[in-house]
Amino acid sequence: MSTRDEILNRIRVILSRPDLPFPPAVAPPLDAAERMTVTSATGEARDLALRFGLEVAKLYGTYDVLDSEVEARLALVNRLRTWADEEAAARKGMGLETGQEKMILSWAAERLPVAGLAEMLQDVGWQLVVPADLTTPESREAVRFIRFGVTGVDAAFASTGSLLLAASAGQSRAASLLPLRHIALVPFSRLYPTIEDWLAEQREAGGLDDTLRRRAAWHMITGPSKSADIEMNLTLGVHGPKFVHVILFAG
Amino acid sequence: MLPARQLLRLLEIVMQKKQFATPPKRVALFVTCMVDMIYPEVGMAAVELLERQGIEVFFPAEQTCCGQPAFNAGYRAETQGLARRYVDIFEPLVRSGQVDALVAPSGSCVAMTTHFYDVLFENDPTYRARAAIVAGVTFELTEFLVDVLGVTDVGAHFRGKLAYHASCHLLRELGVDRQPRALLAQVEGAEQVSLVGAEECCGFGGLFALKNAPISSAMGRRKTQNLAASEADVVALCDVSCMTHINGLLTRQGQHCRAVHIAQLLVNEVEVADQPHSTAETTATTVDKTPPSRRWQDLRG
Amino acid sequence: MATSTIDLHLPYTTRVAKALGNRHLHTALERATERMDGQRVAAMGAVEGERLRTQMRQMKEHALRHLPELLEQLESNLTANGAQVYWAKEADEVNRTLIQIARKANVQKAVKVKSMVSEEVHVNDALAQAGITAVETDLGEFIIQLAGEPPSHILAPVIHRRAEDIADLFQKELDMPPTLDPQVMCGVARTRLRREFLSADMGISGANFAVAETGTICIVTNEGNGRMCSSLPRVYVVIMGIEKVVPTLEDAFLQYQALSRSATGQQCSVYLSMTSGPRRPGDADGPDELHVILLDNGRVDMLAQGYGEALCCVRCGACLNVCPVYREIGGHAYGSTYSGPIGSVISGLLHNSVTDVAALPYASTLCGACRDACPVKIDLPRLLLDLRADHVAEGDAGRIEHLAMQNFAWMMGSRARYEAAGALANSGSNVLAWFSGGSIKSMPGPFAAWTDTRNFPPFARHSFREQWRARKARTKRITREE
Repeated sequence: MSTRDEILNRIRVILSRPDLPFPPAVAPPLDAAERMTVTSATGEARDLALRFGLEVAKLYGTYDVLDSEVEARLALVNRLRTWADEEAAARKGMGLETGQEKMILSWAAERLPVAGLAEMLQDVGWQLVVPADLTTPESREAVRFIRFGVTGVDAAFASTGSLLLAASAGQSRAASLLPLRHIALVPFSRLYPTIEDWLAEQREAGGLDDTLRRRAAWHMITGPSKSADIEMNLTLGVHGPKFVHVILFAG
Repeated sequence: MLPARQLLRLLEIVMQKKQFATPPKRVALFVTCMVDMIYPEVGMAAVELLERQGIEVFFPAEQTCCGQPAFNAGYRAETQGLARRYVDIFEPLVRSGQVDALVAPSGSCVAMTTHFYDVLFENDPTYRARAAIVAGVTFELTEFLVDVLGVTDVGAHFRGKLAYHASCHLLRELGVDRQPRALLAQVEGAEQVSLVGAEECCGFGGLFALKNAPISSAMGRRKTQNLAASEADVVALCDVSCMTHINGLLTRQGQHCRAVHIAQLLVNEVEVADQPHSTAETTATTVDKTPPSRRWQDLRG
Repeated sequence: MATSTIDLHLPYTTRVAKALGNRHLHTALERATERMDGQRVAAMGAVEGERLRTQMRQMKEHALRHLPELLEQLESNLTANGAQVYWAKEADEVNRTLIQIARKANVQKAVKVKSMVSEEVHVNDALAQAGITAVETDLGEFIIQLAGEPPSHILAPVIHRRAEDIADLFQKELDMPPTLDPQVMCGVARTRLRREFLSADMGISGANFAVAETGTICIVTNEGNGRMCSSLPRVYVVIMGIEKVVPTLEDAFLQYQALSRSATGQQCSVYLSMTSGPRRPGDADGPDELHVILLDNGRVDMLAQGYGEALCCVRCGACLNVCPVYREIGGHAYGSTYSGPIGSVISGLLHNSVTDVAALPYASTLCGACRDACPVKIDLPRLLLDLRADHVAEGDAGRIEHLAMQNFAWMMGSRARYEAAGALANSGSNVLAWFSGGSIKSMPGPFAAWTDTRNFPPFARHSFREQWRARKARTKRITREE
C-alpha cells in the first residue's frame, strides 16, 4: 500500500471509532447564513474609500481619495515626484546611482485602471517597465534597483485596508513586491466593504473557486511590509515595500 | 439507587445550575480538607456569612477531600475512590431534599466536583449522573451569596488598602469573578486598590508547586512584586490554596501585605495594625473571635 | 555561524534552571509577551471575538471530521493545478522527498519562510547534509540562524534575545556598524537577504492552511519573505501537516482573520499569499514547479490516542503569550520545536525526540489562561490532565510518587483515617512551626521544594470539624436550658 493510502485508511478507521473523543461525530460545516463577517464597513463608495484610507494609514500606508481618473493620474505623478525627491536626497553625494532611478516596475498598461499613464510619465522623463519575463538572472538584474512599483488591484477591502492582486499575464508579482515603494490604483468599482462581501459576490456568481484557480497565485496586501521580531519594535520594509500608497478614485 | 437511565434524564434537567423558585433555606457545607485542617476560621466565617442570611447550615462530618490533588497529578483511579465517596455523601442529601444547595469556600474544589467529576466518571454513567445532580446545586461561597441570595452588602467593614486576586479555577472554570468583586466593593471603609496581573496564576498549581518548585516560586514572586507595587494591606481571594502560596512567599520575604480569604474579610475578622510598616508579622491581624484557631497573621514570619 | 549556548538536549530541570537564571531572557520575555497579548486582546475585542472563536472551532471540527475526503480533494485539485503532491509518514521521508526534488531540479540554494513544521522535521540539517544551502529569510529566523539557535516562540522566534544581543550579533556576523536602531538592523538584513532571494533555486515554506476546494496553499506573513520564496525561485516546495486543510475559501479567510488577530493583533497580516500552482503561460514571474508534501509525523496517532483536539491548533502563539509558565522560562526550556501549553501537549505525541518530554505536561498550573486565549478554544488544561493520566496509567510516574498518591487516597478514603491523619499532621506541623517560630520554614523530603522559598502554615490546633462539634454542643446546651 502506498504511504498515501496507508495514512488515509488509518484516519478513516480511527474516525469510525464510536468512542473517539474528538472530532465530534456530528460536525456540520458553517452554512452561508450563519457565517460571520468579521469586520464591517458601510456607506457609499466614497465613504468606503475614506474608510480604506483610515485603515491603511493606521498601518503607516498613505492614500488619496479622488473624484476622477484624471485626478488619479495627476496624483500618481505627484506621488512619484515626491518619492523621487526623497530618494535623491537620501542618495545625495554617495554615488549610488544605478541608472534605474527613473524607472517604474509596472503592470501592463491595459491592466492598469488609469489610461495613458505611460505617455504622461514619459513626458516627464519616467519610464514604465513591464517585464514579460522575470525568471532569468539578466531579466532580474534589469529591474533589480527599481525603487517604484505601480499596480492596479483585482479588489480592495475598506474595513481592513487590504488590496487583492492576482498574478497573471501583464500582472507581475514583482511590481508590488520588489520595489521599495508601491503605488496601487483602486477605482471605486473594485472597492468592497469587506473581504466577505467580495467572497459572497464571487460565490453567488458561481465562480469563486474558478476565479481563484484560474490564476497561479493571489496576494492580499494590507499595508507596508513590517516586522516586530526585534524586541517587538516595529520595523517597516523588511522584504516587501516599505512605502505603500493607495490612490482610490471614482471610476 | 435509581437506574442509570433515569439518572441521566434527571441529569439533563439539572445540567444548568439550579434556579431556585423559593429562596434556598438549607445548605450543606463542603468545607474542603485544607480549610478543615489548616484554616478552620475560614470555614467558621463561611458558616457565619450563611447563617446571617438565614441559611441553615449542615456539615456532613463524613466528608474529607474531593480528590483534586490526585486528579491534577494524573492519578485517576485513586481519585475515583474519593470522588465516589463524595458523591455517596452529598447526593442523597440533595436528592432527598434534606438540603437545597451545597456551598464550598473554594473555587478550585467546586471546579473539581462540578466540572472534573464529569471527566472522571466518563465511563461510569451512574456516578456521572449522580455527581451531576450534586453539581447542579453546588456553589462557590461568593457565587451563592451574590447569584443565589442576591446580597452584596453583608455589613463588612475594613480600614486599609484592599486588593483582589482572581484564583484561576474560580475565574476560568467557574466563571466567577463579578461576585467576589461585588462583595468587596461593598466593604465599608476599604480603599480599593487595583492589582496588576490580578488574573494571573500565583504559581501554586497543586503538585506543580513541588514538581516545578523553581517556576512556581518565580510565578509567585511576580505576584508578590505586583502586590508590593499595589501597596495593598490585604489581598482578598476565594481559595486557601492560593492563599497558602501567596502568604508563604510574603511571610518569607518579610512583606507587609497578607492574603486573606474573602469570608474572613466579610465577617470583619481582618484588621490592619496602626503601624502598618513596622514588622512583617504585626500588620494585618485578625480579630481573634475563635481563639483556638491559628491564623496566618499570627505567625512569626 | 556563532556558537550557541542553547542546548535543547540538556535535562528538563537544567533547561529550566538556566532559563530562570537568565536575567536578559526574563527582560526580553516580559517585554514581548505582554505586548503581544495586549494586542491580541484588543484585536479580538474590536470584533465579535467570541463568535469568531466559536465559528473557528466549528470549522475545524468539521474539517477534521472529514479529513480523509478533504485531503483527497486537496490532492486532486493541486494535481489539476499542476502541482506535485507527496505523502510522508515520518520526518525522514519528508527530507528524502525534499532532497530528491532538489537534486532533480539541480538546486544549490534554498530560501525558507519561517515554518514550524520544517523545524519539526529538521529540514535545515537534512539540506546541509545533502550539500544544499538553506537560508532562513524571516528576520527573526535569520537572526537565530546566524546565532545557531533554535526558535523559542511559534511566532516570534527570537523573542528570547534583546535588541542589544541582536545588534552584537549583526556587528560580528554582518559587519554592521554599531547601532541599536532596529530599522538599521532591518535594512542590513533586507540587503543581505534580497541577494539570496534573487539567486536561490528553491523556496521552502509551510502552509498556514490549504484550501481543499481549489487546491490552494496559503501562507501568512508580514515581512514579504513568504511572497519572495513562493514567487522568485524556480522551485517552490510546501511542507504541511495534514491537519492544515480547510474546506472552502470562506473557511480560509475566517481562519486567516482569526489567526492574524490572535497572533499579532492585526486585522489582517500584511501579506496573504495564495498559491494554486506553478506559473501559468504568460506570467512574468512565479515558480516553474510547485511541490506539496503532506506530513503525518504523529498527527494521526494524536487523533487515535484521543488528542485530536490539538490538531485544531492554528499556531498563533496566543497560548504562549498568556502562559505564566512560558513567561518565566521561555521557549527553549521546553526542549522542543513547540513550546508553551500547546507544545506541552503535542511535543510528546509528535514523532520527535525531545529530552524529558514526559515532564512537559506537568509544566503547567492548569490555570486555563491558554484555553481562554485560544482562537479555536482548545481545552489545553484538559489535554494536559489527560496526558498526565496516561503517564500515570502507563506506570511511568515513578514509584515513590505513586505510593504517596495511593497513601493520600487511602488516608482521605475514610473519616477515621482522615481525622487521625489530621491529628498527626497537626502535632507534627506545630512542632516544626514551634522550632522555627510560628510558621514552618523547613520541611523534610520532597516538601523541602516548598520551604526552600516559601513558608508553610502549621495545621490548626482545632480543626473545623472539632470547632463545629463544640459549637453544636453549645447550641444544644442552650436549647436544653431554655
